[in-house]
Amino acid sequence: MKKDTLILSFESSCDETSVAVIKNGKEILSNIIATQIKSHQRFGGVVPEVASRHHVEEVTHCIELALDEAKVGYDDLDAVAVTYGPGLVGSLLIGIMAAKTVAFAHDLPLIKANHLAGHIYSANLVADLQYPFMALLVSGGHTEIVLVRAPGEFETLGDTRDDAVGEAYDKIGRVLGINYPAGKKVDEMAARGNDIFDFPRAMVQEDNLDFSFSGLKSSFINRVHHADQIHEELNKDDLAASFQGAVLDILSNKIFRALKQHPVKQLVVAGGVAANQGLRQRLKKDIEERNLDMDLIFPPLRLCGDNAAMIGAIAQIQYDKKDFADLTINADPSLDF
Amino acid sequence: MKILAFDTSNKPLTVAVVCDGDVLASIESTEKKTHSVSLLPDIQQALKDSKLSMDEIDLIAVAQGPGSYTGVRIAVTVAKTLAFTLKKNLVGVSSLEVLAADGSEDKILVPLMDARNDNAFAGVYQYQDGELVNLIEDHHTSMEKLLDTLKQYESDKLEFINATEHLTDLIKDVYPEAMVMDTKDSLPEADKLAKLAENKPAVSDIDNFVPNYLRLTQAEHDWYQKGHKKDGNISYVEEV
Repeated sequence: MKKDTLILSFESSCDETSVAVIKNGKEILSNIIATQIKSHQRFGGVVPEVASRHHVEEVTHCIELALDEAKVGYDDLDAVAVTYGPGLVGSLLIGIMAAKTVAFAHDLPLIKANHLAGHIYSANLVADLQYPFMALLVSGGHTEIVLVRAPGEFETLGDTRDDAVGEAYDKIGRVLGINYPAGKKVDEMAARGNDIFDFPRAMVQEDNLDFSFSGLKSSFINRVHHADQIHEELNKDDLAASFQGAVLDILSNKIFRALKQHPVKQLVVAGGVAANQGLRQRLKKDIEERNLDMDLIFPPLRLCGDNAAMIGAIAQIQYDKKDFADLTINADPSLDF
Repeated sequence: MKILAFDTSNKPLTVAVVCDGDVLASIESTEKKTHSVSLLPDIQQALKDSKLSMDEIDLIAVAQGPGSYTGVRIAVTVAKTLAFTLKKNLVGVSSLEVLAADGSEDKILVPLMDARNDNAFAGVYQYQDGELVNLIEDHHTSMEKLLDTLKQYESDKLEFINATEHLTDLIKDVYPEAMVMDTKDSLPEADKLAKLAENKPAVSDIDNFVPNYLRLTQAEHDWYQKGHKKDGNISYVEEV
């Protein structure tokens, strides 16, 4: 019988300090997440220097909780993994330095993981992945369509040309008076409203798989400002529903274009925006209407946001390939596939 | 007592292993190196040079700031993680005190770090009976105010340490006769850091050991300026 592999993983790329213990890339023994949202809400968005300071405050406590909850000691571990990019450089560095230190202190192999790959492999914690599969990665920093041909082999088919989808939610949220992160609230408002403002669906006619959300965002902001100027009262729920309607049309259009070019058995939707209920319902309905024989995999809400469990999941694949790093690894803030 | 000491609070990186006052290994680098890349390999090398394993180290000493925010965080994160994960004692020493340790025995020592816009991080130290004593606590200050505060000392007794060219100009305007060591002549030495750490109490709460930035972030500063107050009951970071 194959021996179990236990990986202690770190994630600190933005405003969550997270440490997890993952068994065989599949089973979460612990997944401690310390979120800084309340701190950054003071400023209306993530402030990198504040984020870095919080990570230093949290990191050892998170390690302790992760080991305690998993009921394991250092001798039980097989490797240490850490996100090395993309993300905020100051934030990434705390996880990297802590992970390198634990690996060094206990003579454990070190694995450097790509945050985006981690998000996609959060699906591995809830489903058995069949290759090739398609991934729609939607978060505050990323909007990508990725074809995963084999374990750990990624091909980016489409990307955003400007704002990430989650970023667009935060920006229009500000106009609606919603503090960051605005996605959940806008999603709830959208469920109550109607799509009546006819915002633009950028690039849906174009035969590529790229996204653009800045035109939609500007159109939304202009509509609200125009109404303010002429003292017109707009229904905020309808505004939210109209914005979300455009977002979902764009995401749906591009992901099904991709699936037509590359038919697969599984579609994984990952990243913070994968928590959006409107998106979940929409893709489910689209698949049913198209009669596609394809599983739609949404990780549970806790695994949609940034977390170290997903880093343990992708790290297992690198562990199996003996893709190890040394103590000289550095942060790569703009890392891609 | 075997001490592993390191400082990455500014451009230089320094690591040393000191045993009962003897320097077993010392690595100093002034070239532009990336501390996040070099620190652990250099620690590994220093241990190898001193023929010690990490298990044999009794105390970890780290320069706790002030300094480059990122630089200080790198050393502090490694130090607290090492101390936590191997259950070692940990001592934080002022990065300015480490610089002062290299100063003259008979002078009023003013270690500095240029904080731009005519500001500096500074403290005032003096050797008394061979011990480095802190006269004015490390703080963030305008140079004007600092130079004014220093009027309480005899000007020919002053020794400024780690002054950039710009800070040197500001100092010389007020104290032409003061001794000024420039940044090239003011390198932190981890073996001195180790010796300073020996006389200080170990950190009791490693989880809450953080850098002494001596300055709020700009965002927090602006937030307080707007009249906001920290609500004592709010925890800005929560486990979810």
